[in-house]
Amino acid sequence: MWRITRPLIRVGGAVLVWLACGIAPAAPIMDFVPPAAGTYKLERIQPATEGAVLDADGRGRRLSEFTYGRITLLAFMYSSCADPNGCPYALTVMHLVKGELEKLPVTRGRVRFVSLSFDPVRDTPQAIALYGRDLGGAGQHVAWDFLTTRSRRELLPILDGFGQDVGVDIDKATGKPVGTYSHVLKVFLIDRNRIVREIYTTDYLLPAMVLNDIKTLLLEDGVRLK
Amino acid sequence: MNDETYGKGLPRKIALALAVSATLTGALLSGGSALADETSCSPYTPLIKGQEDLVYVWTLGVKGVGDGSDKLVTVDVNPNSKTYGKIIHKLSLGGRGEVHHVGLSDDRRFLWGGALDSNKIYIFDIGTNPAKPKLTKTITDFVQKTGFVGPHSFIAMPGRMLITPLSNNKDHGGETGVVIYNNKGDYVANHPMPKEGGDGYGYDAAINPQKNVFLTSSFTGWNNYMMDLGKLIKDGEAMKRFGNTSVMWDMKTMKPLKVFQTPGAPLEVRWSWKPGDNWAVTTTALTSKIWVYKQDATGEWQVKDVATIGDPAKIPLPVDISITADGRGMWINTFMDGTTRYWDMSDPMKPKETFTKQIGSQVNMVSQSYDGKRVYFTTSLLGNWDKKGKDDEQFLKMYNWDGKDLKLAFEIDFYKEKLGRAHHMKFQARDLSTLKPLDLAQSPPAQPALVAQK
Repeated sequence: MWRITRPLIRVGGAVLVWLACGIAPAAPIMDFVPPAAGTYKLERIQPATEGAVLDADGRGRRLSEFTYGRITLLAFMYSSCADPNGCPYALTVMHLVKGELEKLPVTRGRVRFVSLSFDPVRDTPQAIALYGRDLGGAGQHVAWDFLTTRSRRELLPILDGFGQDVGVDIDKATGKPVGTYSHVLKVFLIDRNRIVREIYTTDYLLPAMVLNDIKTLLLEDGVRLK
Repeated sequence: MNDETYGKGLPRKIALALAVSATLTGALLSGGSALADETSCSPYTPLIKGQEDLVYVWTLGVKGVGDGSDKLVTVDVNPNSKTYGKIIHKLSLGGRGEVHHVGLSDDRRFLWGGALDSNKIYIFDIGTNPAKPKLTKTITDFVQKTGFVGPHSFIAMPGRMLITPLSNNKDHGGETGVVIYNNKGDYVANHPMPKEGGDGYGYDAAINPQKNVFLTSSFTGWNNYMMDLGKLIKDGEAMKRFGNTSVMWDMKTMKPLKVFQTPGAPLEVRWSWKPGDNWAVTTTALTSKIWVYKQDATGEWQVKDVATIGDPAKIPLPVDISITADGRGMWINTFMDGTTRYWDMSDPMKPKETFTKQIGSQVNMVSQSYDGKRVYFTTSLLGNWDKKGKDDEQFLKMYNWDGKDLKLAFEIDFYKEKLGRAHHMKFQARDLSTLKPLDLAQSPPAQPALVAQK
């Protein structure tokens, strides 16, 4: 099973709280051995959508800069998500998978992770920079970029293009947003040609499966894993 | 026709937002508390706990009945509503294509519905205004893309829809496959049903994420399902062309793992979602058997005939089934005698029929609420197989179930309402006062980029 290690304690936001309180995200049950990497084909599901984003330095960028040229694992999230089976769980899985990939030097320049916030109001570049501190960065094989958008006007076409639903939770009495979002957790695996090859929701987001899928795409690209 | 919009005069209800979250994506989370509202839902579809607000009824058009068109009918089923038990919306499709089954998307925002004769697939938006579904896309090239005919079941996978067609475009027989479309309605891939050890026929599918498998069943091809039933029964050669197998697949590789011999047209397939359970069930239409699938001590999937439904000699024709949320009970309908039967599945290998009630002259589909207290029935099987004359009742009936008896709560006569043949049902619940789609209406000012965009 996947062990919660010391580095995970340094993950910011809700995950830190959960772990400190001993309330780890509840993982789905995996009662099977995942098929070995390279023994199956991941279908070409849909193109990865283009869009306007902001990076953690606040610079305006194109999303395709983060989804083209490398195998990309992209998760939609927001930093104040407190659902243990939502964004914190995705963060945990991505961290665990990244840890395994870091053992493979061939992943350098070939694999990246992206967390894209759908809460541009609170997840400013400064906020997501803090959220993603310690998770990506120089000296690691697998870059992990944290992105947001300037506004919902830029965000909505991206969500719609990927098929990520997001609902604003409203207070019954006041009719005003309560600050949380309802969404089906979705993580997208994109090949280096910007084609989505796998989509994971919570019950499907299994670290061993994700790892094998990334390896399958690496093998498809002719990369020797050993 | 009352066309009351959802937000007017309806009491505040449990928000779908509370249910439609990453917490409730299936029955197999370690907490074990998330279970299907009605058991033909995919485990990847967000679940509704508590009171359902709406039921959608996929309805076959009948020449001379109303506009004669296939349609999606919306019924208000919240007992606190002023329009409880009433039709509040209907969406006509402008033709008859033998509509049959529907399926919810992985985020419950869309409803996919198929037509077995026209081969069209309709995608409805049921998230923006659940009380007024809107047709957003019609897929008209299913046959050209896949080579298959008769899109039957629609089972959500993450970002995709698994579709099980019934037939093929070469000979309109029963050999077919499984098909994947993405959520935008674009074709992705297809995988033929195995013929080695099997007949290559298909019908329904059910996924078990915990085991990385899905199970398919088998029925018959277009030549048979579009034939008049009376004529079909007399055609000895045609009667040989029914499926006799079911298949366990590896969901990741989309490769068949094992073909089972389950003679007599195994139809609906369901997994028990009770935590700790690891079994699936089907019933056979022509042989009236209950079959249960379990892994043996070596981990290999096995299937066993565990019970007989009614008197097989009379061909009661078991059709739809619905497992209770706790996996301890199952409704089985038999079409020819219009009867529903409740089976105690506490020991799935030794099920017992404990309750029987005739619902009408004919009955097909059954859906139950999450808590099992409300059970819905509709009538139509296939346009050319439904009974004729006064026995051709077409209705939606809802009963309250107290564990001992079904008590009728309301019924809608689909012929009297000039609608057509009532078939598949799906629930929806949404409190628009507490959940709004993420849009620009309440969007705060954009934040400026710190550096000009490249």
